[in-house]
Amino acid sequence: MILISLAIGVTWVFGTVLAMLDGRRTYVGLLALGAMGTSLVSGVLLGVRVLQEGTVEFVAGGWPLGLGIALRADVLGVTFAVLSCGVVFVSLLYEVILGIRSRTFPALVLFLNTGLVGIFLTGDMFNFYVFFEIAMTAAYVLTAYREHDYQVRAAFIFAIVNLLGSVIFVIAVAALYHVTGTLDMALAAERVTEAGINPTIVIAVAIFVAFGLKLGLFPFHFWLPAVYVGSHASVAAILSGALANIGSYGLLRFGGYILPEQLAFGAPVLLVLGSASIVYGAHQAVARRSPVEVMAYSAIGQAGYILIAIAIAGPIGFAAGVLYAVVNSLNKTLVFLATGLRGWMVGAAFAIAAFSIAGVPPAVGFLGKLALFRAALSLDSLAGTVTLVALIFLGGALSFVYSFQIYQSVYLKPSPEEGKPSPLAARLLVVVLAALLVGLGLYPEPLLYVSERAGALVAGGP
Amino acid sequence: MRPPAGDGKPLGPENGLTTDVPGGVPEGQTSVMTRAVSRLLLMPTIATAAAILVKGYVEPGDGFSAGVVAALGILMQYLAFGREQAERMLPLRGLGYMAFFGLLLTLVVAFRGPVVGQTLMTQWPLPGDAVIHVGTLEVITAVAFDVGIFLLVLGYGTGVISLIARVVGRAERRSKEENHRDPDEAYGEDMG
Repeated sequence: MILISLAIGVTWVFGTVLAMLDGRRTYVGLLALGAMGTSLVSGVLLGVRVLQEGTVEFVAGGWPLGLGIALRADVLGVTFAVLSCGVVFVSLLYEVILGIRSRTFPALVLFLNTGLVGIFLTGDMFNFYVFFEIAMTAAYVLTAYREHDYQVRAAFIFAIVNLLGSVIFVIAVAALYHVTGTLDMALAAERVTEAGINPTIVIAVAIFVAFGLKLGLFPFHFWLPAVYVGSHASVAAILSGALANIGSYGLLRFGGYILPEQLAFGAPVLLVLGSASIVYGAHQAVARRSPVEVMAYSAIGQAGYILIAIAIAGPIGFAAGVLYAVVNSLNKTLVFLATGLRGWMVGAAFAIAAFSIAGVPPAVGFLGKLALFRAALSLDSLAGTVTLVALIFLGGALSFVYSFQIYQSVYLKPSPEEGKPSPLAARLLVVVLAALLVGLGLYPEPLLYVSERAGALVAGGP
Repeated sequence: MRPPAGDGKPLGPENGLTTDVPGGVPEGQTSVMTRAVSRLLLMPTIATAAAILVKGYVEPGDGFSAGVVAALGILMQYLAFGREQAERMLPLRGLGYMAFFGLLLTLVVAFRGPVVGQTLMTQWPLPGDAVIHVGTLEVITAVAFDVGIFLLVLGYGTGVISLIARVVGRAERRSKEENHRDPDEAYGEDMG
């Protein structure tokens, strides 16, 4: 209990204090790092405990379950919490090394972390929405952390589109409450089966649209490239490495855990949309030249893989979804951080991330693709399996092409190198992250174990 | 819904009812009636807010709605007098910081529980324990929590509007005067 409170609370309190200070000063950045580190360590300790002893939960204020607001750390939530917290920590460290240029940056990052950890560790749907808004509000301001006025336009689009998503989501939560009479996720999952498919399918569609917007899936992707292109490397890493996790987590939690029947009902649609995402994202990415733009379109494609895994469902499908979300988040963090740097070793780190996105062993991306293949093979229909395997292969081949086009044009081309290389510490950070990607690929057991447990949890339902 | 124009009578600067203040509301935008009424309504609004805050434990109301009411009362002054004059009449500078102090207070109360080994947001004193009274007011952490929410809402509401008014006012001044003012001068200490 103290660990859950600490993981959420420490960055909240520090964020509030640091909001009043000038974030450009070094000590503010270091304080923020300390708070983020505490949050991360509590998350990891909590994760260890959850893996060993099962779900940790309590109700705020000591109220009985169903009356009070439950905080619940299960395998799925804690996995995403640790992942997002880690990504935010690394991005903040990166920004501190390079020098923060905005007075609000550290406080915003801490608020964002509070929202993210809160989302993943709450057991209450309305609280989910509240933390979701905390994280998104911080993200709106963070996307405006950029140099040129015209780039603020992208931040504005981001805010409007995501506010729309939030409204749709809160309507869905209200509808779910109307149908089940509870806001507790576990209770809602039990009761929603009695309501029948007819009213709940509409709710499921609304939830899908809300998280699809967040994740940047194919029909809802239009805001994504513009926002990423104008952002700082660290902000882009936070957006695609941490914030996009809300989308995958939300689809897993609400689709797989609370509304499994509706998910099965809508699976063909999700498979089609996921495939469209993969093909569209990859084709757009191949056609682009600037690294950030390529990776932004690639993010749309990668979101498609996660959607397909979730649509396949069952323990294997959900486990693949979790694994792919984790791997994708790590890949994207490394890629975006690397694009912001110059100097030797950065190219190598970028190449590893590119390998990983394309799914080449030994990088960890291979695991994600492998899990997807396994999930596709578990489908009942032969035609479906063949189509999916072909699609995953095609997507992988295309991502191989665009990754190496970029690598070639940015790092191999002998260019009249103007600027001086980035600070060594920042480059080392990127290299450490790259080593982590390869390390997890070489020793995949922990990741596989966690994702299998999480997948079983989602599939098993309450 | 613009209020009718003033009748042009000279107004006494001693009662804060002048219009020819630099950065104030241009003459004719708000009438003396509007200004006088909004000035008169300020204290009742604040008193109502305090009542909502305190009564929230037996009747509908809480820190949030109290904060909204109080913020509306202050925003009315901004509307009637313009930012600069309103801030000269009332101690409004730095009110935006109240949002942070309020949030801190709320968080401290909420996270007191886990620190002393109870669950999150546990009230002190516990139900059934003796309560310390100040007059007829019971001192419980729930009140502190709500005061924090009150400050948060009040500070946020007034702080954000004041900030927007400042930015808009600066843009207006710049376009009007085109003088040697440094455009970035006031960035950086805009909070509150």
